[in-house]
Amino acid sequence: MVDFSRSEGGDSQSGSTSHGDGDLLSIIQHAVHLLPSQGPISVFVHHNTLHAFQHLPFFTALRRGVEVYGCEPFLSEEAFHHKLADGRIRLEDIEQVLSEELGAHGEDKIAGLTTRFKLRLTMAKDPLYLGSGEELEWQIAETQILKKMRSEVSGATRKGMVESTRHWALRQRIPVETTISEEPSATGIDLAPFLQELSFGASESAMDRWTEHRWEEFCLTALWKVCVAGAKRNRRERTESARLMRPCDILKQVAGEDVDRLVNELLIPFTAAFLDQGLSQWSLPGRDLGFYEAFLLHASQTGFLAERWFHDGNVHVRRLQAENVSALDLIHELLPKLGIAPEETEEFLTQTLLSLRGWAGMIWQTETQASRIARPSPQGTLVGFLAVKLLLECHALTYVAKEAGVWTGSLADIRKLPASPQPLPYELTAMQCASVVFQMAQLLGWSPETLYHLPRRDWRALLAEIESFSNFERRRLLQLAYERRYRNQALDAFTAHARKPHVAATPVRAQVITCIDDREESLRRHIEEVAPDVETWGAPGFFSVAMYYKGVADALETPLCPGNVRPRHWVHEEVANGFESSDQLRRKARKVVGKLSRHLHLESRSMTRGAILATFLGPFASVPLISRILFPLQTARVSEVARKLMEVPSATQLRLERATPEPGNEPGQIGFSPQEMAGIIEKVLRDTGLTSNFASLVLLIGHGSSSQNNPHESAYNCGACAGSRGGPNARAFAQMANDPRIRKLLADQGIVIPESTWFVGGYHNTCNDEIEFFDVDKLSEPVRKSFFSLKEKLDEALAWNALERCRKFESAPLTLTPEEAIRQVKIRSEDLSQARPEFNHATNAICYVGRRERTRSLFLDRRAFLQSYDPEQDTPDASILLRVLQAATPVAAGISLEYYFSCVDPAGYGCGNKLPHNVVSLLGVMEGAQSDLRTGLSSQMVEIHEPIRILFVVETTPELMTSIMDRDTNIRELIQNEWVQLALLDPNSSQLHLYQAGAFVPYRPESSQLPVAGSSYEWFRGWRGDMGFASVLASEPKTFRKTSRSKEVF
Amino acid sequence: MLDLEFLSQVLAVTTVVTPLMLVGVLGIASLFSRRLSERVTSRLTQFVGATGIVASVVILVLMLITGSRHNHVTLGNWVILNDPSLHFHFTFKIIFDRLSVPFAILIFVLCEVIATFARHYLHRETGFHRFFLLFSIFQAGMILTAVAGTVEMLFAGWEMVGLSSALLVAYFQNRAAPVRNGLRVWIVYRFADAAFLLAAIMLHHLSGGGDFDVLTGVTNLQTWPEGVVEITETGTAILVGYLLLIAAAGKSALVPFSGWLPRAMEGPTPSSAIFYGALSVHLGAYLLLRVSPVLVVSPWLWGAVIALGLATAMFAAITARVQTDIKSALSFAALTQIGLIVTEIGLGAAIGGRIGQLIWYFALSHIIGHACLRTLQFIRAPSLLKDYGQLENATGSRLLHRPILFTSSLPGPLQVRLYRFALERGHLDTLLTRFFVTPFLKLFRGCDRIERAWANLLQGGVPDSPHHSEPSHQQSESRT
Ligand SMILES: [Zn+2]
Repeated sequence: MVDFSRSEGGDSQSGSTSHGDGDLLSIIQHAVHLLPSQGPISVFVHHNTLHAFQHLPFFTALRRGVEVYGCEPFLSEEAFHHKLADGRIRLEDIEQVLSEELGAHGEDKIAGLTTRFKLRLTMAKDPLYLGSGEELEWQIAETQILKKMRSEVSGATRKGMVESTRHWALRQRIPVETTISEEPSATGIDLAPFLQELSFGASESAMDRWTEHRWEEFCLTALWKVCVAGAKRNRRERTESARLMRPCDILKQVAGEDVDRLVNELLIPFTAAFLDQGLSQWSLPGRDLGFYEAFLLHASQTGFLAERWFHDGNVHVRRLQAENVSALDLIHELLPKLGIAPEETEEFLTQTLLSLRGWAGMIWQTETQASRIARPSPQGTLVGFLAVKLLLECHALTYVAKEAGVWTGSLADIRKLPASPQPLPYELTAMQCASVVFQMAQLLGWSPETLYHLPRRDWRALLAEIESFSNFERRRLLQLAYERRYRNQALDAFTAHARKPHVAATPVRAQVITCIDDREESLRRHIEEVAPDVETWGAPGFFSVAMYYKGVADALETPLCPGNVRPRHWVHEEVANGFESSDQLRRKARKVVGKLSRHLHLESRSMTRGAILATFLGPFASVPLISRILFPLQTARVSEVARKLMEVPSATQLRLERATPEPGNEPGQIGFSPQEMAGIIEKVLRDTGLTSNFASLVLLIGHGSSSQNNPHESAYNCGACAGSRGGPNARAFAQMANDPRIRKLLADQGIVIPESTWFVGGYHNTCNDEIEFFDVDKLSEPVRKSFFSLKEKLDEALAWNALERCRKFESAPLTLTPEEAIRQVKIRSEDLSQARPEFNHATNAICYVGRRERTRSLFLDRRAFLQSYDPEQDTPDASILLRVLQAATPVAAGISLEYYFSCVDPAGYGCGNKLPHNVVSLLGVMEGAQSDLRTGLSSQMVEIHEPIRILFVVETTPELMTSIMDRDTNIRELIQNEWVQLALLDPNSSQLHLYQAGAFVPYRPESSQLPVAGSSYEWFRGWRGDMGFASVLASEPKTFRKTSRSKEVF
Repeated sequence: MLDLEFLSQVLAVTTVVTPLMLVGVLGIASLFSRRLSERVTSRLTQFVGATGIVASVVILVLMLITGSRHNHVTLGNWVILNDPSLHFHFTFKIIFDRLSVPFAILIFVLCEVIATFARHYLHRETGFHRFFLLFSIFQAGMILTAVAGTVEMLFAGWEMVGLSSALLVAYFQNRAAPVRNGLRVWIVYRFADAAFLLAAIMLHHLSGGGDFDVLTGVTNLQTWPEGVVEITETGTAILVGYLLLIAAAGKSALVPFSGWLPRAMEGPTPSSAIFYGALSVHLGAYLLLRVSPVLVVSPWLWGAVIALGLATAMFAAITARVQTDIKSALSFAALTQIGLIVTEIGLGAAIGGRIGQLIWYFALSHIIGHACLRTLQFIRAPSLLKDYGQLENATGSRLLHRPILFTSSLPGPLQVRLYRFALERGHLDTLLTRFFVTPFLKLFRGCDRIERAWANLLQGGVPDSPHHSEPSHQQSESRT
C-alpha cells in the first residue's frame, strides 16, 4: 500500500499546486454547470438537457455533448434511412438542405471524379456500411460485398464498370514496351503482379470463359484492393486527441479492472444514504456534520471486514481527522499524488464529477435548491463528495495496480502507463475510409482503373472530402432534411388553412380555456367538433395564479407555477362552513388509516412484527395482488368507494383573499389582495385576447395525470405547474373572476365581464380523460342548466379524445369505439403493469402563438402547443406578445428539447429502459441494483417521439419579433442559436416568414392542397403512424353538423 | 373411489407435464426463430398457469374428500441396478402431500399473476419472448421441485430454477452490471448445487435410492411431517443434512451467501418480484421442510439450522433498515423473514413431536403468507413515491426517519460501526472473496501449477497456463 501520510506528499503539494482554494472552488463551480440539473423526481420539470451549452449554436452544442458526455447527437443513420424509406424524409428535402448549405461550393469538383454535392448526397442518402476493423474483415470474408455490387447500383453503371475493368485486365495481359514513362500509381500498387494475383493466375482462355458474375467479382475485388491501398497510402494521419485520461481510465485499459466500479460500490450507497429523504428507516449517523466529515467518521472505524482495497483507509482517514484536513485541502493534496498537473485540474475534476454525474448533479440540486427539497444538503456537500471520490479512487487505484502487477511505485506514475486515448468520435480509420471510397465508387461508377490512375493529390482531396463529411455531418444533414419535411408540411397547412375565412359562431355558447399543452390540442378540437358553438383558448396551465397551494387533505404545500417562478402567495383549501364536523371525523379516519398503512409498510420490513404480519395477514395480500392485476379497473372502483368514506367532503372553498398587506404563510396572510387578483385575471384575458364577447359560461381547465407504478408520474403533469396538477389554479382563477368586486376593478381597466357570465374551474386528467369541475354547486339556476348540457358535450369530446389517443397505443385495437376507448384509458391509468399509461408530450413538434380562429378546424395530431394571442389587441411595441413568449417559450422549448435528447440517446441523455428502475432515496431512480442516478426520460416515454426541434409559429410581424428578441435574451438565445425553429404568420394575410440564418425569409409553400375530412375521427381512424394535416369540417359552425356521426357511434 | 384416485393421479401428472410442455413450445419456437406473437406467448403461459391452479386445487379437494394425505404417482424407473451390493435405483415419482400441495398452489397462483403482469409490463420489449421462455423454465422447475418425490427430480427442478434465475438477472444483457451480477448469482447457485449433488450421492449410499419417503420415513400411514427417520449411520445422515443445509443456504441467500440477493434486482420488476421476493428464495426453506424429519436426527443439525436462520434474520433486519433503494430494502426484508422461517424449521426439529410438527406447519404458512405479501410489495415498488405522498397527506406531516430504539441507545462509535456494517451489507461479499474465493483459486492454481510441472517433466514444453501470463485476468476473476 502506498503511504498516504502527509510527509511524503507535503512538499510536492506546496510545490506543484498553483491553485488556491478560491481557484479550486471556481473550477468546481464551473464543472458543476455540466451536471444534469434535474431535481427530485417527484417534481419533474422538463428542461433542455444541454442547458449548459445553450449559449452555443444548436449543432455546436450537440458536438460538445458528444465530447463531454459521449452521448449520441442524432438518431442513428439507420433510423434516418428508415424515415427516408417511409417518406418521413424525401430525397428532395436532402437535396434542398444540401444545396442551401453548400451554395456555390456544391459544384466544386472532387478529385475530378464528381462534385461535392453529388458525393455528399450519395453518402447521406444511401446507407454506408462502416464496420469496425473486425466487422469489416468479417464482411469481406463472409458476405457478398466483394461478389455483388450494392443493390442501389443501376444496371448500366454496373455493366460499364465491369466491362471497363475486364478491358483493363485483358489489356494488361499483353506486355508492351511502353514509350511513355508511366508515373507510378498513387496507390503504390504494382499492376502486373496485382492483376495476376487477382485472377489467381487464370489462363487467358480460362478468363475468356469467365461469366459475368465472375467478372463482377473480379471488378469488386480489384476495386477493394485499390481502395485499401489508396486510402492507406494517401490518408493524412490525424493528430491524436488531447482528451485527458483519468488514471481510472488508464488502469481500466491496461489492467482490465474497472476502478470506478469498485469506488462506486462504496460511494453510491453512502451518497444515497446521505441524500436520503426518508426511504431508509435509519438515518446516516453524523449526517449533520456534512458529507465529507460524515464520511471520515464512518471510514475511520477499523475496517477489518472492509473491501480489500480500502483496508487501510481508516489509517489515512484518521490522519485527515487528526490534522483537520478539510475537503478542499484533501483535493489539493490528492491532485499531485494522482499526477494531475495544475493546468489539467479543471479537465480532470470535470471528468471525475461527470463519471458519476447523476449523483453529483443531485447533490448540487439538494445543496442549491434547498427550498424545494424536504431535506436539503448543507453547503459544500459537492466539494466533500469530490474529495471523498478522489480519496477512494487513490486507494482503489493503488490496490488494483499492484494486484494486477502492472505498476509499482508512486501513484502519479499510473498516468505514464502506455494507454491509447479514446479515439475522437466519428473519426474514420484508414480501412473505413477505404470502405467509403469502395462504396462510393460503386454508387458513382468509378472503375478500379480510374482510381488506380488517380494522382496522389486527387486521392488526398477525395479522402479529405470523405473524412470531412463525417457521420456527425451526415446525420446533421439528415436531421435538417427531416425537420424541413415536417416544417414544410406544417407551414403549407398553416398557409392553406389561414386562407380560409373563419366564421365565428353566434351566439357563443361557451368559452373553454385550457393549458397550452399539446395534449389539450386534441381535446379542444373535439370539443369544437361536438359543439361548434364553443370557442377554445389556450394559456399556460397555471393561469397566472402562481401560488403555494395546500389542499384540505394535503400535508404539504405544493408550488403551482412554472419552475423558474418562485410564488409569493399561499392559498389553502378549506372545508365549507357546516361541514367541519364531518371533516374532522374523516380527517381522523384518514389519519388512522394512514398511520396504520405506514406501520404495515414499515413493519412488513421488520423482523418479529414482519413475521406476524407475513404469516397471518400475508395470505390476504393475495387478494389485492390478484385483483389489482387481473381486474385493475374494478379494483380501482372498489377502493375509490372505500376512499370516498374518508375523502374530503366535496364542499370546500379556497381561501383566496388576504387581509394583511403583505402575502405570506401565516393565517392572515394567506391569499391575494383584490388588486392582485384583478391583475391575474386581466393578464390572462389580455394575453389570450379574450377581452370581450364573453359567453355565459367560461370554463378554465387545468390538467394533470395519474398513473400507477410510475416513478416519473410527475413528468406527466402540467409543465406550467412545474410537474404538479393544475386543477387548483383553474379553480382559483374562476373564483377570482366570479367575484363582483374583482369584475369592477377589471371594468375600470376596460374589460367588462357581463353579470350573466360565469367562470367554472376544472381539472382534466390527461391519463384517464376525466374532467372534474369545482364549485359547481355555486352556479345559479339558468347557468347551471346550460353548464350540465355543456358537460354532456364535454364528456362526448373526452371520449373522442380518448379514442384519438388510443390509436397510438399498440396494445389497443384500432377498431375501438369511443366508449371502449374511455374504458381503455381508464384501465391504463389504474393498471399496475402498464408501462405506458399515456404518451405524454411525445411527438410534440409545434408551438403556435396566435388567434385560434386561424388554426381552428386544423387537424394537428396532438403535436402542437396552442397559446392564444391576439395581435390586434396588442400594444404597438408588442408588450403582450413579449410576456406571452416569456412564459410559453421556456416551457415548450424545454419539453421539446428534453424529448429530443432523451429520444436520440435514451440510455445516455435519457434514463434508459424503465423496467429495471429502482427508486432510491425518494429522489430519483437507479437502473437495477445499483447505478448512477438516472435523469431524463425513459425509453418507453419517447419511443414514438419524432425528434425534431420545435417549430414556433407566431402570429406577428418580423419587425415586432426582432424587437422582442432584442428585449429578451433567453428568447433570443433559443432562436438565434437555433434550439427552436421559428416562423411568423402575418396577422393580416396568409403569408409566413421563416427564420433562417438570422433573417426572416418569406416562405413559399410547396403545396396549397390541404386534405379535408368530415371529422377528426374520419381522418385518423384505422392508422397508428404519423397523420398529416387536414382540415376538419365538423368544427366549422353551421357548415357541418356532426349529429349524424355521433348518434351512429354512441 | 378408485375413479377419484385415478383422477387425482391424472391431475398430478398434469401439473408437472403442462409447464414442461410450455417450456417445449416456447423453447422450440425460439430455437427455430419462429417468433410467436406477444399475445400467443402470454396467453399460452396464462393458460398453463390456470390449468395448474385448477389441477392442484382439485387435487387438494380430492385429498380432503378421500382423506388421503399422501398421494404419490410413480412414473417408472429410469435406472435400476439389481445387484444387491450396489442396490441403486432412480425413480420418477411425484408426491402430493400436505407440504407440496399448498406450495404447488402458491407457485401456480403467483406465476399466473406475474405472467399476467408481465404481459403488459414487457409489451414491446425486445426480450419479451426470452423473458417468457425463461419464465416458463422457472415455473416448470419450481413445480418439479415442489412435487419431486426423489432427490434427483428435485435436483433437476432446482437446476432449472437456478439457470432461469441467473439468466433473468442478466436479462438486460446490454449493460455490464446485470451480466456481472447474474454471473455472481450463478456462481453461488453452482456452489450450492455442488453441495446438493454430494448430498444426493450420499443419500443413495445411505438408502439405496433418492426417494424422500424412504429417507424421511414416510409410509402410507405416516406422511409429512410425521415421518420418522430410521437411519443407523447417524454420522452420514448429519453430513447429508449439512450438505443440504449448504444447498438451502445458497438458494435462500442465508448468511454468508446473502450478498447475491440485492444484486439480483437487475431484471425487470416482475422477475425480481417472483424470483427473489417470492418463490425461488423460499426454495431453500422448502428443501429443509421436505427433509425436515432428517433434521431431528441430531442436535448438531437442528442447532446449525437455528443458528443459520437466526444469524440471517438478524443480519438482514439490521441491513434492511439502512437501505436507501426500495428493491434492496425489500430484498433484505424478505431475507429477514426467510431467516425466521429457517429458524422455525430448526426449532420444529429441536422440539420434535406433535409441537414440532405444528411449528413446521407454521413455517409452511409463513412461507405462503410471506410470498404473497412480498410479491405484492415488489410489484408495487415503483409506486413508492406515490404511496409516500399519500401517506404524508393522510398523516398530515412529512415522513421522516423513525429512530430505532435499540440503535439510538447505542454509544456513538458503536452506532457508526453498526451502521457501516449494515450499509456495506455485512461485508459478506468481501468475506466470501477473501476467505473463500481467493484461497479456493489459490489452491486450484497451485494444483494446476503442479500438474503443469509434472507434465513438463514428462513430455517437456507445455505452454503456460493463461493465468500466469495474464495477471489482469486473474485479478478480474478473483472478483467475480
Ligand atoms: Zn399544462
